[in-house]
Amino acid sequence: MENPSNTNENPNSTTSSSSTEKRKPRLIVRLGIFLISHSTIVSLLCCVAGFLSLLILPILAKNTYISENALMPGSANPMFSGQDVLEANKMVKEILGLGFGSEESRMEIPRLIARHIVDSGAEVYYHKFHSEINQFHPLNFFSDIAYTEFIHDNNSCSSTGVNTVGIIRAPRGDGKEAIVLVTPYNSGKIELSDALSLGLGYSIFSLLSKVTWLAKDIVWLAAESRYGEYASVSAWLRDYHNPVFFRSSGKLQVDTCLVDHVHHERQDSQVRGRTSDVFRRSGTMAAALVFKIVDKQEEAEKDTLSIHAEASNGQMPNLDLINIVHYLAVHRQGLRVKVETAFSLLHSAWLRVVGEMLEWVSIMAGNLNPQWRFGIPAADYVEGTATLASSMYYQALGVPTGSHGAFRDYQIDAITLEISPKISLKNEIAHSTFLLRGGRLIEGVVRSVNNLLEKFHQSFFLYFLTSPNKFVSVGVYMIGFALLVSPLPVLAAALYSGIKLGNTDKGNQTPSINSHSNMGLAVRSWRWLHAAKVVFVIHLWGVIVLLLPHLINQLPQRTSETSMLTWTVLSIFILVILYQISGAPHSHSGNVTPTQYQSADWVILKAVTVASAAIGLGLMSIINFAAAQIGAMFLVPMCLIVHPLKHMGQMKVLKAVLLLTCNLALAILGFPPATLFILKVSSEGLGGLSLGDFWDWMESLWAWNSATYLYLVLVHLPCWVLCIHILLHPL
Amino acid sequence: MANNRGFWASVFLALLLRLVLIFFSKKLNLGSRPEIATPLTSLRRLAEGYWLKQSSMSPYAGSMYHGSPLLLSILGPLTVQSVEVQTNHIKCSLMFVIADFITAMLIRATGQKLQLAYSQSLRSLDLLKLLETSKIVTAGDVAALVYLWNPLTIVTCVGSATSPIENLMVVLSLYGACSRIAPLAAFGWVVATHLSLYPAILIVPVILLLGYGSDSPPKKLFCLRNSSTSGSDPSNYSHDQSSGVTSQPGLPIHSFTWKPVVHFILWASIWSFYVLILCSISLNQYGGLYEMFQKTHGFILTVEDLSPNIGVLWYFFAEVFDFFRIFFLIVFHVNILFMLLPLAIRLNHRPFFLAFVYVAISSMLKSYPSVGDTALYLGLLGLFVNELADMHFSFFLFCGYVGVGLLSPVMHNLWIWRGTGNANFYFATAIAYALLQIILVVESVGAMLNHDRMLRKHLST
Repeated sequence: MENPSNTNENPNSTTSSSSTEKRKPRLIVRLGIFLISHSTIVSLLCCVAGFLSLLILPILAKNTYISENALMPGSANPMFSGQDVLEANKMVKEILGLGFGSEESRMEIPRLIARHIVDSGAEVYYHKFHSEINQFHPLNFFSDIAYTEFIHDNNSCSSTGVNTVGIIRAPRGDGKEAIVLVTPYNSGKIELSDALSLGLGYSIFSLLSKVTWLAKDIVWLAAESRYGEYASVSAWLRDYHNPVFFRSSGKLQVDTCLVDHVHHERQDSQVRGRTSDVFRRSGTMAAALVFKIVDKQEEAEKDTLSIHAEASNGQMPNLDLINIVHYLAVHRQGLRVKVETAFSLLHSAWLRVVGEMLEWVSIMAGNLNPQWRFGIPAADYVEGTATLASSMYYQALGVPTGSHGAFRDYQIDAITLEISPKISLKNEIAHSTFLLRGGRLIEGVVRSVNNLLEKFHQSFFLYFLTSPNKFVSVGVYMIGFALLVSPLPVLAAALYSGIKLGNTDKGNQTPSINSHSNMGLAVRSWRWLHAAKVVFVIHLWGVIVLLLPHLINQLPQRTSETSMLTWTVLSIFILVILYQISGAPHSHSGNVTPTQYQSADWVILKAVTVASAAIGLGLMSIINFAAAQIGAMFLVPMCLIVHPLKHMGQMKVLKAVLLLTCNLALAILGFPPATLFILKVSSEGLGGLSLGDFWDWMESLWAWNSATYLYLVLVHLPCWVLCIHILLHPL
Repeated sequence: MANNRGFWASVFLALLLRLVLIFFSKKLNLGSRPEIATPLTSLRRLAEGYWLKQSSMSPYAGSMYHGSPLLLSILGPLTVQSVEVQTNHIKCSLMFVIADFITAMLIRATGQKLQLAYSQSLRSLDLLKLLETSKIVTAGDVAALVYLWNPLTIVTCVGSATSPIENLMVVLSLYGACSRIAPLAAFGWVVATHLSLYPAILIVPVILLLGYGSDSPPKKLFCLRNSSTSGSDPSNYSHDQSSGVTSQPGLPIHSFTWKPVVHFILWASIWSFYVLILCSISLNQYGGLYEMFQKTHGFILTVEDLSPNIGVLWYFFAEVFDFFRIFFLIVFHVNILFMLLPLAIRLNHRPFFLAFVYVAISSMLKSYPSVGDTALYLGLLGLFVNELADMHFSFFLFCGYVGVGLLSPVMHNLWIWRGTGNANFYFATAIAYALLQIILVVESVGAMLNHDRMLRKHLST
């Protein structure tokens, strides 16, 4: 009975420690213990390796290849001929010949398109829609966005749009699958490029209505993009996938709005026979191509095709779709293909230095053994990195880069093709050859997709592009992320077990254990509960901050500055209140636990914080990898290095100063508004800086239901607050 | 007193939170989540069954409804959605809130009984200083709050699955056994078994509870204690015990008393007869009792519905060849039964803890698990907060539960809605979840046995 509380302290540990002397624990246990006992060096190594692996991603990029054999791109000769180009040109002239400007003439283009479609023997109908104002619905994050009921607001008649949809029933198909072609045009202000897009769309459509090889229906959507391309396409897709059995009031309103237009249309006896407002459907969509012609923006020696593929929340279409477009464009039509690139990085000096260094290392390795050569020329490296950066940026943002994003919400692979000529569109002779190329490209892609037996599944869904024909797949970039995040659980385990070990040591050393037993039975292994409570409260605060904009949006007469101010003030106010309610995290620990545990308090809080950050980042990496990757680059170093300021005073001067600067720098960098401001200042200078920028940015995120917003407010911000909490910990 | 007020405030807040969430339940759409609503507990299926019954068809037609006909009569009218009466959905959810509340109160009452028995047995072992030196937490309050504030309980309640009612019946039975009210225990046990079959295995801990009384340190300790202090005087020993029995009914009783057990069995047969009669009345125009058993308990045993859930059976039986199916069905179900006996022998001095282990194991291995089952055993776990203070991996388990709980819906979304993942993604979280449950059970049993060892050490030194 000499040492009662030591025995009750941890009977299992005494037994296990005695047993460890007899037999070694299992390998995996030893490995875990090794990792945890060397947590500092392990986390440093992993973290550095994580950052480095991001830099060498452009080198690890592989060439794309067409994975699905059934696609067979370019195996047939294109049928799109000069005749079709003539037809397109005729259509362009007709469109440009229509009068514009008045509300009356808004139905002119749909009617013209409908007449042409009927002429080519296909079905046609008008789809009327309201432009949805993107609103923040906080609960929509948790339900399936595509299938929620949208409530139509009392929009005025002026905000209704009309899409014209033509359907070719495939002669060889069973009508269960379809390929969608989309040509957006702005009816408010028709330009030559819009007219050319429509002309091209129509000429391809009329060609496809004559061919015999179609096995999938063709749906051509001439989308009125007066209220945004995305809005019209997504409205059509919503109606396509959610049949309306009872006409809702919103629907009725659209009809009454357009009654005068319909009246006009009735007079058009030729079209009336086969046009209707009845929503017609085809089968499930195998793929969708959004194509538009833009006037040339930059000097180029070839006609250029730029591909946009990022849909909401960093989802990408199947890589095979991009592959066939790239293959046909480059090898059949001789177009220059490009994807989005971060231009600011193209001229960055340090990137070039890194590229040259890597090239040098690769050449050195190649001298030793030619097979070890891995690198690419520095110029390629810089370009690859710039493209990768923009690919990551757009995926991380979670905002679709075009109307193809609407398709991805219904699991349909879609991309936007922007075709621009090498000479200006004004030149009529030049744009015939240009139309011929574009038409053949799209015909080839349609023909290829038409060969498909199943939906796209062979190739990758999760990838980054480093150039139009190079990609980094999930298997590669996940390693870098795993390296970056793996220090978090290791550190959490190390901190947590460090606490436990430290306590038992002290328990063994102290002769009088009364103070120890005061801790109580229930607290020993559950000591993290208090820290978990703090972490939970801060995350709860995150949820409240997340929902606040919903309320702020309803304030009258707000600017982005005032909204931002309201948001900040309310957030801080609520944080203070929560601190009070939850019993002031700092003070609570002071009067209950004995002194020897106070120093441990922040350590265990850090352990829980780090664990919560690891869970958050892990989750986000599955929802939107790019956002998690970028977030981890800020969050992981901050969480790893955070240390109470008061504690630093007891250290050596050099170490303390180093730790202090690191902590402060990371704490500033880790705060999302500060990050945005620093980025803005570095890219644009101090000029246009305002408080509302951050609000506008966040507004665009939640308007598109981006999960990045959730990540920022539910994971990043609470972790940052917790880190500040630890920094200011009174020990 | 202040503590007590805090408890009631938390209870009130938990109920308020449920009510607030119920108003958003349409938007949250929790009722269609596979984690929350299983084919057995889904309220939407119940509505379908009720509709079938109203149009004078068998509620079990078309393999939609697999629950009890009694639930159909109680909850069915509340599931009717009509334009005039919008409140039905709220009434129905209120039922579940009330069920949760009663469950929490029963857990609290049980906890108080268990704690009384615990401190009395410590007193009779002369280990009072253990009570003084250590800060004993009121386990009943903790467990009730854990149950009420558990996010899993809340989502189950808001998601309108019928699991809160099943949980209520299980807890009712355990409460009845703890306080030695045989009719109540029998009623809870019969109805719980009728609703979801798996609580049938709780008959072992219930009988042990009725026979031996609630949890106490192992019997050996009492013998040890008596032999060490008054071994020379056997009369003292008997006096000790008899006085204990007469003065306090909650004292550990070391001999198995048959009377309450016989009562329990009698009452159980009465109640099951009664339930069967009610069912057959409710179903007499349709298939009768045979169809009911086939479509409820048979459906559970044959794992017909392979739609994904948080368990591991659906994936396995989707993959297995048809001619092995029966074999593996037997293997999987016997798996639960195999564990009953060894655990009952090892933990027979702690029947309530045994009940917790059984509930945890069955919720891990049952054919259609949902988070409602998890909520139940996590709530029961709270009752042993004093004994399990030394549990290992508590932090790891906590992080694991949080992580898996969040990851599972995301993986499901990736597979079903986005199409970029596949079934393996979701099944991986199910495996991780099963693993966590195994660790929880193993560690809690280990900690409980260590606790007994610790008591023994105290006694021998």
